[in-house]
Amino acid sequence: MSQSLVESLKEYVVKSYAMKPNRLVIEVEASKVREVFVKLAEVLGKESFYLATIEGTDLPEKKLIRIDYFINLFKHDAYLVLRAYLPRENPVVPSVIDLIPGALAGELETHDLLGVLFEGNTYLRRSFFVPEDISSKGIYPLRKDSGV
Amino acid sequence: MERVKIIRYSPWLVHFNTGACNGCDIEVLASITPHYDPERFGVRLAPSVRHGDVLVVTGVVTKKAAERLKRLYEQMPEPKFVVAVGACALSGGVFQGSYPVVGGADKVVKVDVYVPGCPPRPEAILEGIIKLLKKLEGGDGDEPKPG
Repeated sequence: MSQSLVESLKEYVVKSYAMKPNRLVIEVEASKVREVFVKLAEVLGKESFYLATIEGTDLPEKKLIRIDYFINLFKHDAYLVLRAYLPRENPVVPSVIDLIPGALAGELETHDLLGVLFEGNTYLRRSFFVPEDISSKGIYPLRKDSGV
Repeated sequence: MERVKIIRYSPWLVHFNTGACNGCDIEVLASITPHYDPERFGVRLAPSVRHGDVLVVTGVVTKKAAERLKRLYEQMPEPKFVVAVGACALSGGVFQGSYPVVGGADKVVKVDVYVPGCPPRPEAILEGIIKLLKKLEGGDGDEPKPG
């Protein structure tokens, strides 16, 4: 499955490797994330995959924030991880909430904890998880230099 | 005091997870299964917090859950009691001092019985509730002392 999937997404793939068996990682440009989801829906069909979660990781020594979209592929019985790197100073990525309403919690969480801006998500706000006293100071707790 | 006496025949529980890892919750659920037969003490889960007598709190109290815990507690009819289950509900456990937590359940509501453990066994949870009932009868909740 990995070969055919990488082949059909080849215009977006920066790098691809296996995280573990049945878990393929495809690195894409952050600005192309939304297009990749459109393409995935075209290739696999809208109802044969589902976005399980969005994970953000702070990498201060590389001055990057890594974001991973974990996608469950029903037909292949496998996971696909879409991985993108954002600059830490200005982490902006297009929102996929109009394509996948289930991305709401993942996008709000990643925004609240790491300060990633999902462009086009009108529901984006602070204090989804983080208590008011922390978020009102503009602290993003999962940033390694946040001091909390 | 009369009303307190009535409760001791059938204390209905309200189970609330304020931020537990689910370990204690599973033990609380296990303790209300027929295997441990809590109904011999009249113990069962209340269908609504407004019918509850004993609030069973599991997990560390996060800042967000603290408001909800207080609100739940206020909705319970008098007389009402709180049993804190697990290390986190006692003191904050491993989450103590973390930015989103308040601490143990006693920071928010008055706790009557503490059940330590990570997680406590179902027998321990039931014993905590029984100790609470014994306290209501006028004792200190402990076994009768010899002599």
